[in-house]
Amino acid sequence: MFVLLRQLQRLRGQIGLPPATLRGSLTLRHVDAGSRNACEHELTATANPFYDLQRYGLSLVASPRHADVLLVTGPVTTRMAGPLRTAYEAMPEPRRVAALGDCALGCGVLGAASELAAPLDHLLPVDVRIGGCPPTPAQIAEALLTLL
Amino acid sequence: MSGERQVAAADWPAAIAAAVADGWRFADLHDAPGDRLRALLLRGAEQRLLCCAGAGRRVGSLIERLPAAIWDEREAHERGGWRFAGHEPLRPLLGHDAPAWARDEGVDLHQVAVGPIHAGVIESGHFRFHCVGERILELELRLFYKHRGLEREAVGRPLASAIVYAQRACGADAVANQVAYAQACEAALGLAPPPALRRARTLLLELERLYNHLNDISAVCAGVGFAPGTMLFAALKERAQRLCAELTGHRFLFGTVAVGASRLAIGAAAARAALAELGELRRAIDAGWHELRAAGSLQDRLVGLAVLTRADALALGAVGPAARASGVDEDVRGASPLLDYAGFVAASPGEPSGDVAARVRMRAAELGPCLDVLERLLDAPPAPAQAEREREPAAVGAGVVESPRGRSVCVVERAGERLARLRLRSGSYANWPALTRCVRGILLPDFPLVNKSFELCYACVDR
Repeated sequence: MFVLLRQLQRLRGQIGLPPATLRGSLTLRHVDAGSRNACEHELTATANPFYDLQRYGLSLVASPRHADVLLVTGPVTTRMAGPLRTAYEAMPEPRRVAALGDCALGCGVLGAASELAAPLDHLLPVDVRIGGCPPTPAQIAEALLTLL
Repeated sequence: MSGERQVAAADWPAAIAAAVADGWRFADLHDAPGDRLRALLLRGAEQRLLCCAGAGRRVGSLIERLPAAIWDEREAHERGGWRFAGHEPLRPLLGHDAPAWARDEGVDLHQVAVGPIHAGVIESGHFRFHCVGERILELELRLFYKHRGLEREAVGRPLASAIVYAQRACGADAVANQVAYAQACEAALGLAPPPALRRARTLLLELERLYNHLNDISAVCAGVGFAPGTMLFAALKERAQRLCAELTGHRFLFGTVAVGASRLAIGAAAARAALAELGELRRAIDAGWHELRAAGSLQDRLVGLAVLTRADALALGAVGPAARASGVDEDVRGASPLLDYAGFVAASPGEPSGDVAARVRMRAAELGPCLDVLERLLDAPPAPAQAEREREPAAVGAGVVESPRGRSVCVVERAGERLARLRLRSGSYANWPALTRCVRGILLPDFPLVNKSFELCYACVDR
C-alpha cells in the first residue's frame, strides 16, 4: 500500500497539475438516459490523477437529493424518460442540467423513433452543453468549471 | 466456413444437440426474416449456421440441454413471435410489461429493488434482489432501459454504412463489435481480409483490451474502496487511452473499422513512440499488480467471493475472462484465422477458482500477452489495406471476435447490398445469466464488487 501511495505521489509530480483555486463547490448527479457507455468512462476519468476534478470542489454524489447539477448522457430512451424526470424532480432548487455528449445534445442520434423519447432539451431545461462523442475528460472538466 | 444448413422444425433441438455432442459450441440463436430461426455453432475456427423455416414459428426449446440459449429464446419470442415447447414460462426479456417478479412469498423473504438509476457513474438497469436478511437468494434482472432499437433500425441500410449501428451499440467494446460486424459482412460478400487488414484489426482489438482490462482492475479496487489501487490503474488506463488517441486519433478508437478495408496508417515514428510507451506501461502494470496482490485488505474481499463453478460457466455459456477464471478453455483468439494471432498462447488464470479474485487475476494475467501482441504488431506498423474477393457470396455471414468481455458474435443477413437482419450478441449478453447465478448466497453489500468483477456492459445488451 505504501509503495502504491509512493507511486501515485511520483505520478502526481510528473503530471504537475496546477494548484486549484477554490471558488466554491458543486455536487453532480449522473443519469445515463441511454448512452453507449463511452461518456460514462470519460466522466469517471475526470477523477483520475491526470484531471482530479475534485480539487476544484466538484464531486459526484449518490443521490439527486444532494445534487446541484444533473449530468445527463444518452439520447433519452423512452424507458429512461420517466426515471430521468423523477431524478430531476428530486433535486433541490437551484438546480442545473448539463447535457453530456452528442447524443444528449440530440446530434447524430441513432435508433428507432419509437424507442427514443425526445431530445433532452425538450424534456428538461438544459443549462450546459458539452459536445463530443464522447467529450474528453478535459472538455468535461472545462465545461463544468464554468458553472462555479 | 460453411453455408447455412436447413433443418426441419421437428428436428431442431435434436440437430443442435447432435452438433453439440460432436464438439460444437452454441454461440447464438435469433429470429430471421421470413419466419425463420437461425443458430450459430462454433468448433475451433469452424462456423456452422443452422436454419429452420416456418412451422408456425413453433419448435422445441434448447434450454434443457443448453441453458446458454435462455436469453436468445426469450428474445426470439418477443421479436419474432417464436414459441419454444418446453421453455416455460417464456418470460419477456426486452419487454417491461412483465407481471410481478418470480418469487415474493416466504418467511422473512424480502425484495430489494435497485435501479434503473444507480448510485455511481454506472449505466442504467434494474436489479431485483430476493433476500433473506442480507443474503441474496435470487437476483432477477430487468435490463433494456437503454434499448434504442439499433438492430431493427439498421435493416434496409447499405452493409458498409450500417457499421455505425454496430459501433453505436457500445463504447467500450466498439472495436470488437465492429470487427465482428465487418467479418460477418465480408463472409456474406465472399471477401477475405489480406494479412495487412488482419494486422490492423488485431492491433485495434488489443488496444481496446488494454484500456478495458486496466479499467476493470481499477473498478474492482473501487468496489472494495481501495483508493490507491483505483487511482493507479485509472491513471494507467488514461495512458492507454492517450496511446489509442496518438495512434488512431480517438481515445475509444472510434471510426477505425470499416467493412472490407482499413484506412489505419501508423508511421514509423509514431510506432516507435508507442513501443516506448508500451514498455513503460508494462513496467508500471507489473509493479502496480505486484502491490495489489500483496494488499491484504483488498485480497481479503476478493478471495472465495461469488464462485462461478466450471459446470455453471459451461452450461450458461459464459465467455471471456469470467469463463476462463472458472477453468473454461474459451478464447476466440486461439482460433482466429481472420485476425493475426499467430502463435497466440492464452494466459493462465493460475488456480481457476472462479471467484472474484480469479476474475481479477485473469485480467491481470491477460495484460502480458496483450502487450506482446501489440509490440509484435507495432514492429511493422499497419498500412491501409483492402479485402479481396475469395469465394462466392452468400446470403448470411457470421463474425466472431474476442472482445475484452468475451466472445462477441455478429450475424448479418443481406438482401443485395443491404441489411435484411443484424444480430449482435456481445460478451456481456452471454455473461449476465452467469453473473446472476454466482451471486446466489452472497451478501447484498458484496454485489457491487461482484458486478465489477464481471464488468458487463448494459449498452451492447440493450442495443
